[in-house]
Amino acid sequence: MTELERALVALGRELDIPVEPDLGLRVRERIERRSRHRHALVLALALVVAFGIALAVPPARSAILRFFHIGAVTIERVDTLPAARDRPLVAGFGPALSLPEAEKSSGVPLVFKGTRARRFYAQPGLIATVLQYRGASVLLAELQGDQMGLTKKLAAPDTRVEPAPIGSFGIWLEGGKHVLIWEAGSGEIRQLERRLAGNVLIWTEGDRTYRLEGGLNMGQMLDLGRHITR
Amino acid sequence: MGRPLDESDLIGRAKRGDTHAYEELVYAHQGIAFRMAYVIAGNAADAEDSAQDGFVKAWRALGRFREGAPFRPWLLQIVANEARNRRRSAGRRAHVTLRAATEQLSGDAAPSPEASLLSAELRDALLAAVNELPEDQRTVIALRFFVGLSEHEVAEALGVPEGTVKSRSARALERLRESYD
Repeated sequence: MTELERALVALGRELDIPVEPDLGLRVRERIERRSRHRHALVLALALVVAFGIALAVPPARSAILRFFHIGAVTIERVDTLPAARDRPLVAGFGPALSLPEAEKSSGVPLVFKGTRARRFYAQPGLIATVLQYRGASVLLAELQGDQMGLTKKLAAPDTRVEPAPIGSFGIWLEGGKHVLIWEAGSGEIRQLERRLAGNVLIWTEGDRTYRLEGGLNMGQMLDLGRHITR
Repeated sequence: MGRPLDESDLIGRAKRGDTHAYEELVYAHQGIAFRMAYVIAGNAADAEDSAQDGFVKAWRALGRFREGAPFRPWLLQIVANEARNRRRSAGRRAHVTLRAATEQLSGDAAPSPEASLLSAELRDALLAAVNELPEDQRTVIALRFFVGLSEHEVAEALGVPEGTVKSRSARALERLRESYD
């Protein structure tokens, strides 16, 4: 090293360069936070993929998905459907109420604020109304919490069940006959209604389960669903 | 008392996901990473952000780091990229004007042999000459002698061939020699 180079090194030691900040802890917290998010994402993706595979493969579908839950809804695949008949969408929900009455009775404030509906229905932990969308009547039910067994759905083997891209997790049921059994919650296992059901979109977001039922296709139902929880 | 942690041990543990081992590596290299980023980015705030983002990116790239290779040049290259990108996106030319500290370091430590070479007058003259160098030469001098990088590390940090660093360094030293002599 020449004298000039040694002088430059000495000069470097006398320069007014800011003291470095402590980065170790901050960096560690960032990578751990990122890692947690990534694990959650990987888990969610794995669940969706596994769910899709299970639904796509008939043997797996029948073996794995005899019985599963999404939010407050239980779906059970059976070989023989129980007896059921066509009934109005709101059958078994009791008398029509105003929105404040329904919210008070159900204990569930309605998330969807865009409805012009005037008739609402309530059961403990459940609030419902009928929407008109693209010329079809669609039942919207919002269920609070994720207690399993509040409602039960029985689907025949020919009913198509597939993941739906909505909320935290969603599924779409279409085709074939399937039977819907509403059961009262809050520890009171009481069957409210048993009827044949139409196309259904079910999804969860936060601690709430949403269910839409009516004569719409999947794309239309997803549009409506996203509008409700936007 | 545990044995001192060897860098290759820390790297191995970090590659296996040990964030505390990586934190130790950050502490070991944060000083030189920050000073290098300061020279490239031109200010302390961008230098801090560049260093922090660079360390996070290096963690994510750790799987591609070849064990046994020198860690510091690999790490500094990532931090330097961050600093260059930050300077570029801010749309400004790097122009860190180097200043001598107004207060001398206190303490009982004896001055280093290099420090004893410099009188205040000489220091000011040399600093003024460095600040008058073209930017590409000044950056090389600053990284090489003020930050303490090797020529190889300077080349990696600036993304230029090592020969370019040598030639810029030689031209800069020639100009500085005129002021120094």
